[in-house]
Amino acid sequence: MTTNELIDAYVTDVALRLPRRQRNDVACELRALLHEELAARVEAQGQEVDAATAMALLQSFGHPDEVAARYLPTWTVIEPTQGRSFLRWMIGGLLVIWIAGLVDAFEQFPGSSMIAITHWWGHVVLPSPWWPGVLVIGYALSAWSRRRRPSSTRWSPRSADPTSGQRVALAFGILGIIAGLSILAEPRVVLDVVWGGRAAPAAYEALTYTERFRATFAPAIFILLALYIPLLVATITSARRTRTLRALDIAHGLVTSIVILWAVIDGPVMMTPESDAVARAGMVLGAAVGIVALVLERWRRVTPAPATHGAGGLS
Amino acid sequence: MADADALAKLELELRRGVVVLATLSQLRVPRYGYGLRQALADKGMPIEEGTLYPLLRRLEGQGLLRSEWKIEDGPPRRYYALTADGRKVLKRLIDSWQGMNDAMTRLLHEE
Repeated sequence: MTTNELIDAYVTDVALRLPRRQRNDVACELRALLHEELAARVEAQGQEVDAATAMALLQSFGHPDEVAARYLPTWTVIEPTQGRSFLRWMIGGLLVIWIAGLVDAFEQFPGSSMIAITHWWGHVVLPSPWWPGVLVIGYALSAWSRRRRPSSTRWSPRSADPTSGQRVALAFGILGIIAGLSILAEPRVVLDVVWGGRAAPAAYEALTYTERFRATFAPAIFILLALYIPLLVATITSARRTRTLRALDIAHGLVTSIVILWAVIDGPVMMTPESDAVARAGMVLGAAVGIVALVLERWRRVTPAPATHGAGGLS
Repeated sequence: MADADALAKLELELRRGVVVLATLSQLRVPRYGYGLRQALADKGMPIEEGTLYPLLRRLEGQGLLRSEWKIEDGPPRRYYALTADGRKVLKRLIDSWQGMNDAMTRLLHEE
């Protein structure tokens, strides 16, 4: 290629990466500037203009992608400050999708590991990039919103007392627990309330506990959930969530989640297979939410303390 | 001692902060891209062509520069010069730079 052809090819590659309204003007200017740069370079080196010198100039100018990007205002899809958060959610979400999908595949094909894994690969892993896609859209909208309303990114302190302003919610929580305890004590009460006692006998059977669950785990879960009421009352009445209350809350949540999971593993909870499956799925979900909440609380806690490791001393 | 790559990055960061100020300072009079680069290099502030030419367009897009094509003896050239807003911004940037320069001089020469 001649030097002119090289420069023209380069300018075209840069221009094609720019908005249409800008292309021709930038191409015209860039072409003239590159010719002047080349002329100055060969004059300084005492050489003739040749393709190798032109190529060296274009290489030093940068890849057309980089050059075009410099002409354009910076457009950020995911804010650099959000990069770690994005990566964390993406990896965490993918792990949850893959693990849950693997468990589901083995439940669907209990006899054959190979079929289960092939099913998992085709139906869960390969389509799973939908999750990063959803995240990209979410983070891009968030970045766009931040740019439009910079005031929304201003830091403001969290409430020193997380219970303040939430007392009404906590009070409703107590009412919810009382309602839940009533249903837990006798699930069939729902049928009486909704259908006035005229529901089908099969419905009553579906909402009947197994004898084993009624005799063992039901009382334990009832007591554990009931114990949550004094904890909430103490949280509402105390000026703040004290260390003791927090420790009791964590211990209570952990024990409750473990007992619920134990009950699920132990065997059927309800008399019919369908209602049992729904009840146990709900119990697993409840226990999982409780454990995740505990882990998150632990993970988000900051206890200022000097690191015991680090670079060499100052002296 | 930091390795050469790290040092190069630190120097790049240092230069990045002054490239705009240096460019604006030379556009009180109209100049075209290559002439501007030469003027900056002659005064000890060489700026890579791949950085400078796109920068002129971005500053124009921000309303700090205006430009026009001129055809004189040689090929057509696009000349850039400060706008009224550009002059105000340059003045502010010079004040900031001088304040930082004074502070840095004190910091770097203190015993």
